Amino acid sequence: MAETREQHDQSIKDALMKQNAKTVTVLSSLLAIQDSLGYISGRAIDQIASYTGSTLNDVWGVASFYTNFRFSPPGENFVEVCWGPTCHLLGAQGVLDCVLGELGLKEEGDTGDRKVSLKFNTCLGACSQGPLVSVNHKIIGPKLIGDANPKDFQNSVVKIISDLKKG
Amino acid sequence: MASENSEINLIIDGKQITTQTGNTILQAAMESGLYIPYLCYYPGMKPYGACRMCVVEVENGRGTPASCTTPVAEGMVVNTDTQQIQDLRKGITELIISEHPHGCLTCHRTDINGANLCGPEDICLRHVSVTDRCVSCPKNERCELKDTTIYVGTGLTTPMTYKYRNLPVLNQDPFYDLDYNLCIVCARCVRACDELRGDNAITLTERSGISLVGPAYGSSLLESGCEFCGSCIDVCPVGALVESDYKWDKAVESTSTTCPQCPVGCQLKLEVNKRGKVIRVIPELEAEANRGQACFKGKFGLDFINKRSRLKSPMIRRDGALEDVSWEEAMSFVADKLNLYKGSGFAALSSSRSTNEEAYILQKFTRSVMNSNNVDHSSNMRPEVTEILGDVLGYQAATNSIWSIEESDCILVVSSNVTEEHNVASVAVKRGSKNGSKLIVIDSREVELTRSAKLWLKPRPGTDSVLLGGILKVIFDESLEDQEFMNARTDNLDNFKNSLWKFDLKKVQEITGVDESDIRTAARYIAESDSTSFIYALDNLNDAQRSESTRSVINLALATGNIGKNNGGLYPLRSGTNDQGSWDVGCVPHLLPGYKNLHDSAARASLEQNWGLNIPEETGLGLKEMFPAIITGDVKAMMIVGNSTNFSNGDLGDVLESVKNLEFLVVQDAFLTDIGMLADVVLPSVTFAEKEGTFTNMERRVQPLKQVLEINNTYAMPDWWIITELAKAMGYDSFNYHCAAQILDEISNNIPFYAGIKYDRLLSKEGILEPAGIPNFPIPSQMIPASGGRNTGIQWPCLDVQHTGVKVLYTNIDDSNKFSMQSLEIVDGTSVTTKEYPLLFVPGRVLHDSDDVKIEVINNKNVIVRDEVLQLNPEDAKRLDIGDFEMIQLESVDEKLTFQARIVKESFVGVVSSTTLFGSLITQLDASEDPDPMGNVPTLKTKAVRVSKQGS
Repeated sequence: MAETREQHDQSIKDALMKQNAKTVTVLSSLLAIQDSLGYISGRAIDQIASYTGSTLNDVWGVASFYTNFRFSPPGENFVEVCWGPTCHLLGAQGVLDCVLGELGLKEEGDTGDRKVSLKFNTCLGACSQGPLVSVNHKIIGPKLIGDANPKDFQNSVVKIISDLKKG
Repeated sequence: MASENSEINLIIDGKQITTQTGNTILQAAMESGLYIPYLCYYPGMKPYGACRMCVVEVENGRGTPASCTTPVAEGMVVNTDTQQIQDLRKGITELIISEHPHGCLTCHRTDINGANLCGPEDICLRHVSVTDRCVSCPKNERCELKDTTIYVGTGLTTPMTYKYRNLPVLNQDPFYDLDYNLCIVCARCVRACDELRGDNAITLTERSGISLVGPAYGSSLLESGCEFCGSCIDVCPVGALVESDYKWDKAVESTSTTCPQCPVGCQLKLEVNKRGKVIRVIPELEAEANRGQACFKGKFGLDFINKRSRLKSPMIRRDGALEDVSWEEAMSFVADKLNLYKGSGFAALSSSRSTNEEAYILQKFTRSVMNSNNVDHSSNMRPEVTEILGDVLGYQAATNSIWSIEESDCILVVSSNVTEEHNVASVAVKRGSKNGSKLIVIDSREVELTRSAKLWLKPRPGTDSVLLGGILKVIFDESLEDQEFMNARTDNLDNFKNSLWKFDLKKVQEITGVDESDIRTAARYIAESDSTSFIYALDNLNDAQRSESTRSVINLALATGNIGKNNGGLYPLRSGTNDQGSWDVGCVPHLLPGYKNLHDSAARASLEQNWGLNIPEETGLGLKEMFPAIITGDVKAMMIVGNSTNFSNGDLGDVLESVKNLEFLVVQDAFLTDIGMLADVVLPSVTFAEKEGTFTNMERRVQPLKQVLEINNTYAMPDWWIITELAKAMGYDSFNYHCAAQILDEISNNIPFYAGIKYDRLLSKEGILEPAGIPNFPIPSQMIPASGGRNTGIQWPCLDVQHTGVKVLYTNIDDSNKFSMQSLEIVDGTSVTTKEYPLLFVPGRVLHDSDDVKIEVINNKNVIVRDEVLQLNPEDAKRLDIGDFEMIQLESVDEKLTFQARIVKESFVGVVSSTTLFGSLITQLDASEDPDPMGNVPTLKTKAVRVSKQGS
């Protein structure tokens, strides 16, 4: 059963109150809510505005600036594919095409059944291991799972993702 | 800082320049008439440095800084036009242009090089793609970007490759058309909304190449807190933001005049097209009254001038129908009729939009020709707010200027719907609050300013005066008063202090429902601030409560020493556009011009001598007494100078019903209004844009109206002309006026504090008007001078023709004339509820409320659709058996409304409140054809209601 509005408001409030930052800013509040709810809802923006004493549109300006904030509830699983320069040179495009094909997506977004959310990432921070894929915040790369051949890695990734899809 | 106002010398392009510390290079250059191209900079806004157009070289400095963000320093040597800078600028414009359609620059048929191959009727020869054509941009030929690009010499001969963003053109907001394909993301609009208006309704969304301007999460402007002031349109350098009406029209002339919509008296440039229509309104950037701001009423509500329903010729009722007649016939008919009603059976009403001259001539006509003192102006609904002020201080007017509110340390707004009624004054309040002034709002309604308030005291309706008394009590209890000021300038202190004993804080808390601690906080804010501005309209109180609240506010100002101070003072908010002027020139029953008492026989005699006519001594009837007197038969004939007189707000009872009892009614109006339909004679008058005259605004500033349009297609005449002709037709040849300026001369001869105010002076050079002249470099459209120049007016008292007016009243200490502290009473706060209607309904208007708002497009305009919410106290809800979220019905004497119930603990027992969105008001205004649309929109007036479950 979906959360009622009151429950949603309460969880936003909790996330705002609990944030562990030296100074509470619009950005820290946005991060706290994204961490706890997985996304920034419209009501969250309202509440951040009143909590930090800024205005709705200011908060939106900050939130929409950063591509890492999302504004709709995420899928159950979260997949990121790196398309930064290093990964690109190491064959990210092939991995990306496989992942998109397996998920039936044309670009980043959520699958229809909301099982998987896909996001492109410009750097996952482990360029030496590329091309990288992150599944539910766990990094997967050819060297990390022992696939020497790019084709093998693509197949492994497809398998992992099809497992996610099955649940 | 000691160096704050010191001067700095620098050299720009070899020219020695002296400027103030803190200015940027760009400002210094502009001050001395040097031009540096810029796009994102705008006068009055903080430096932003987005467009980089204004780069300069500073000798011995590093790189090429943007001159709009670089502060001047002593001995700086700046070059703005070296080869390197020119190359850089060209590169920068190319970058900007590479995201902007620019067929207008590259088409070989445009007139960039002096050859205009494209005539007005020509068909575009498809030199460029359809989205790129000059004619598909609404700012074609008045585009700052294009002018700047040409100025910097970016020689574009062929179109650059660029990606048309192909965003939809948004044309569904009530007044704006938004085409973000043309946006260059200079963020002027975002900053105007935030810095200039204090609204922050739009923001920059996303980033880098896809960055755009818009309200939060893709919502519409209606929901985002937009006031529809049009400030963003005024500052936009390209065609991204334009007015949707007359979007494609080109202006051939622009004239600056005074806005007729409210007492702020904004100076507006009216742009006229070649067919003589007013197509655009641009607020004057350097006018002292509005400083470049306008509001939805001024910016978008002046289209009535162009309406075809304007009255065309005089009409006389014959056999029940109004028939067109000539002026001669109408005049002799009215003159004959009025000759029968001389004396107290005649009453006259001027309009809230009558100029000083018209109000003056009408009262002169009524007094001397008609031998009656029954003369008033139709917006004189709350005389208490200023009358008491006049009694205590001397002048019935605001003590300071509008924009000094912004500089006050504390701003107290008492029961005033400023954002709607006096919009630009609310800008000063919001800007002050944004810059750290403590804004205290005392209002039982949720008005727009409560959003910016540091402290919102929400007294039970009708108890505002008790709350103010409580605040005064705290000030004296805690010895926060300005003793020095009180000793020097006030008397009657003992009586006043004795009267304060009644306001025990516990009791005040009980009566008003406001927490004792909040009252104390408010008192400390007011008393401990260096300067406090007091703004009060008191528009939802009854007369007795209003008088008492006015006394309290004046007491507060005196107790805290905020009289005769630069940034602190009293601002009574009158309702009509020219209420101030109407009072000044004596268009009220009991006062002669210049606030001289009617019963003062010396004053009357001197005026009689000046006029060469007699003035009756008998006290006249005021606005509120006239209509009952019609029913009793005391008033038999009436003359109403209309121009949309607002009789529809219900304060006066059923005016339309009472005027039916008149034997003879003359109405002067530009439109056939409801009251005109009942008249025996209707005389067509012209609108503000077609006549000359003066308005006096809420800060005592006398500003001229200029004739923007010729009188076209109609025999309408200015109201002053009609009245003088009528007097002449009745045999009074001394009413021999041939222009409004002549009447103003007579006013200034009769009123000492208008003595130096002459029409030619208001329009002359004397530091009041700057000569028109269009510079040869591109500037924002708002800065282009109107023909005939701009006016800043003169603030009375202006004692002679050398005097430049007075900004702050009562700066001189006058021992013989001390201000008397007013004793206070606790006025019964019980309101208008009756047995039948036991609850009190308190409406409010807020700008943003994200709950359940749906925007629907009706007739190509956005309309807000939502269940209106009514807040009730749990106790009332229980008694009425109403649950949360239940649909309920609200009934008052004159209306029936459906609401969704919300049970809110904070609301008072016996009080139900609702808020409607500001945006929905806007759409209502747009749908109205009335010149004074505010009259048709429900005011935020408390009234008695009953509530029941729907269907029960």
